[in-house]
Amino acid sequence: MNKIILSLLLGLLPIVSHAEQGLKLDHVRIDLSDQASLQRGARIFVNYCLSCHNAAYLRYNRMGHDLGISNQLVKQDLLFATNKIGDRMRAAMPAADAKKWFGVAPPDLTLEARYRGPDWIYTYMHSFYRDPKSFSGWNNTVFPHVAMPFVLYGWQGEQRAVFRNVKLVSHVMENGKAVTEVTEERVFSHFVLAKPGTMTPKQYDLAIRDLTNFMVYMGEPAKLERIRIGVYVLIFLAVFLVLAILLKKEYWKDVH
Amino acid sequence: MQKIIAWIDDRFPLTKVWNEHLAQYYAPKNFNFWYYFGSLALLVLVNQIVTGIFLTMNYKPDAALAFGSVQYIMYDVSWGWLIRYMHSVGASMFFIIIYLHMFRGLIYGSHKQPRELIWIFGTLIFVALMAEAFMGYLLPWGNMSYWGAQVIISLFTAIPVIGNGLAQWVRGDYVVSDATLNRFFAFHVIALPLVLVALVFVHLVALHKVGSNNPDGVEIKKKKDEKGIPLDGIPFHPYYTVKDIVGVTVFLMVFAAVIFFAPTLGGKFLEHDNFIPANILSTPLDIVPLWYFTPFYSMLRASTTDFTHGMLAIFTMLVAMLAFFTQRGFRAKFLSVAIAGVLLLGMYTLEAKLWGVILMGSSIVLIFFLPWLDRSPVKSIRYRGPLFKGAVIIFVLSFILLGYLGTKSPAAVDLFWFKNVLWAQGFTLLYLAFFVLMPWYTMIDKTKPVPERVTLK
Amino acid sequence: MNDDGVDRGKRRFLTALTAGVGTVGIVFAATPFVLSMTPSARARAAGAPVDVDISKLELGQMLVVAWRGKPVYIVNRTKAMLAQLPNNTPLLLDPYSKVKSQQPPYAENIYRSRKPEILVTLGVCTHLGCAPSKVFTVGAVSGLGADWPGGFFCHCHGSKYDLSGRVFKNVPAPMNLDVPPYIYLTDTLIRVGSDKKEGAA
Repeated sequence: MNKIILSLLLGLLPIVSHAEQGLKLDHVRIDLSDQASLQRGARIFVNYCLSCHNAAYLRYNRMGHDLGISNQLVKQDLLFATNKIGDRMRAAMPAADAKKWFGVAPPDLTLEARYRGPDWIYTYMHSFYRDPKSFSGWNNTVFPHVAMPFVLYGWQGEQRAVFRNVKLVSHVMENGKAVTEVTEERVFSHFVLAKPGTMTPKQYDLAIRDLTNFMVYMGEPAKLERIRIGVYVLIFLAVFLVLAILLKKEYWKDVH
Repeated sequence: MQKIIAWIDDRFPLTKVWNEHLAQYYAPKNFNFWYYFGSLALLVLVNQIVTGIFLTMNYKPDAALAFGSVQYIMYDVSWGWLIRYMHSVGASMFFIIIYLHMFRGLIYGSHKQPRELIWIFGTLIFVALMAEAFMGYLLPWGNMSYWGAQVIISLFTAIPVIGNGLAQWVRGDYVVSDATLNRFFAFHVIALPLVLVALVFVHLVALHKVGSNNPDGVEIKKKKDEKGIPLDGIPFHPYYTVKDIVGVTVFLMVFAAVIFFAPTLGGKFLEHDNFIPANILSTPLDIVPLWYFTPFYSMLRASTTDFTHGMLAIFTMLVAMLAFFTQRGFRAKFLSVAIAGVLLLGMYTLEAKLWGVILMGSSIVLIFFLPWLDRSPVKSIRYRGPLFKGAVIIFVLSFILLGYLGTKSPAAVDLFWFKNVLWAQGFTLLYLAFFVLMPWYTMIDKTKPVPERVTLK
Repeated sequence: MNDDGVDRGKRRFLTALTAGVGTVGIVFAATPFVLSMTPSARARAAGAPVDVDISKLELGQMLVVAWRGKPVYIVNRTKAMLAQLPNNTPLLLDPYSKVKSQQPPYAENIYRSRKPEILVTLGVCTHLGCAPSKVFTVGAVSGLGADWPGGFFCHCHGSKYDLSGRVFKNVPAPMNLDVPPYIYLTDTLIRVGSDKKEGAA
């Protein structure tokens, strides 16, 4: 009997896992050479995200230098009063307090874009909806039951999630006979903007694109430099290859 | 200059070494594409050692500091990102090169008499390299590092009686922890590099003793001119040094392209789950080793209870058949039956998990025996028959597909019709059969006559 | 093997050219490794200029702050101390601060400072890097002889400096104390480590 249950469960596995992966992430176009976008993203990140999250591997002056913001401006606009320009970007709120309030310590976000990918961040920031059953009053379709409250609701407004019921048909073997099982499951369908925010959906979308762009930059500040140097390295090696081939041909004239 | 060299030569055999191993070391003149990978492997070894030394200057082998120190290298150390990418991409490149180098040895018969020891030293290098890579992968202390080590060390628990104690001894703790990290660091930066360098040295000493094989599998030392120089040999220096410079440059272009344009190769060379620190409370959804281990990982996962029973039955039958049809004497027959008996007994007493470990272990151990499993009278694949050629194709395909399946969920369907685990079981059988059946198919295979001298296209 | 009819000159030229370009490549490849050993962003941030409030520094007192991990002495000199400085001239090795490396141009005077009263100098002996101690008391009471005019004394090897950080003759130390770049942001706020009001802080 146990074996039958097990095979039933195993039979369902592909379908269940498929349902989990069923959530499609929206694609976001990343452009690290767009400094204006990165600067806007940095402003959003510092003013909202950095209240609770660390970005502790990056330093303010490195960010200012890479993004073309003068130290003076970084200090005026982006720095907390107690910080120095060479400091690492740490949250305003101590991690212990945050843990008390949210139940989990907010993770460091420096490498978030490399861990989750830009599309995930972009979709996640579009997917908060009102959920009275949740502790913070918010829920998220990309990250269900996330502890983070929706800090940008003033911009986007309040979304409501619409779910629909779907029938899942699965074929399983039971006692050597093929049996068709039908189960019903509630799956997410789409969002409705119940209460508009201060931004139009288009403006909000651009803001999140800037934020995602900045977080991709933050995940690897040396990326543009890396690609630029890579071109020179390959050009040098190509020149050297020509010489090496000529040299080899010259010597191998001896070999018959 | 002459005087300085003479002064040194009186005290150190500089000119002698130079001549014996480069200027008057005669290598066959018909080396092809496949013969680049030996020198490339040496190059990558040097790359790993140099970049490793510079990483060690800033890395901290401490569970609380390791992840942060790696990010410190990536963000704060000047050019640290380049040095780290050179090391992480270099590790993957090392395996690509080593796999191709081993494939070269296999198809041209470089494992066969008189080069058995070169092959064995080489296989030892491969095993040491796997240990080196596995331990190095824990050091960044990312979540995948952590759970990968947790899973692989847990393999030891499959061993009856002493398993649990052994796993604890390896970890120095009840789970992978700071103690594990610290000892892996010691092995990764000191112990195994010393072993690797020593093995590479004896690998080369053995090679220079018997001389290089070549794509024709012809012994060039059999035909010499009046001065005792092989007719088909050319001095390694300058001819192969200038040729290897070309190979090295092409390789460096590939290497640089990955480092500068795709250092993570979409998560293949550096996994996404390693961008968050080790978390003992959260296992990544799919624990997947880096690509170079996936063929072996696949075999491990293929070992379900049904599979091991089925496989053991096949083996027992094979051994029994051997016992009846062999022309050997009574002792050989008795031994075969005894082995079959032991296998059958093990099949009923040991659990599948252990058989998985044994299976994975044998897949590597079998490589050591290649020189004696291969009974063909000729070395090179150029003069072998269709059976060997077919077997090699099936073997390579099985290895690649096992590697592919190792990155996928066993229960999913990524090839056709069947679940991944079923395919993996099939390919595992083919992989093992390549070795186990080799004495048989290499003996009956038709071979072509081998020419007296090497051929140049 | 047959090397008849080989153009030796061409062969030598190609070998030299490839070796030359290869060497350039190796130098380029070595550069990141050499540079990786320079102070990292963390070290540079820790070594950033420090702002020092001297409003509470009383006359005749010394304040020690750390900059780049080295002690910086800030002394508020009294009228009497300042009056003594010109008298030290014959005893000193470099009384007019002619050695350019030891101070910024604005400290090339007998006070070795921007404002005569306030001395800012590194507390690092120019002999072997010990921290000299302050011995401001004058005369035999100081234990440094009846003619001691007040200044700094290094216990390691007995080097002596006056109250401008100028080194005495016949001591192991070869040069005056190092004056770091600094600037007054306000009358009572000194930035040590930079002489520009803009930039890193």
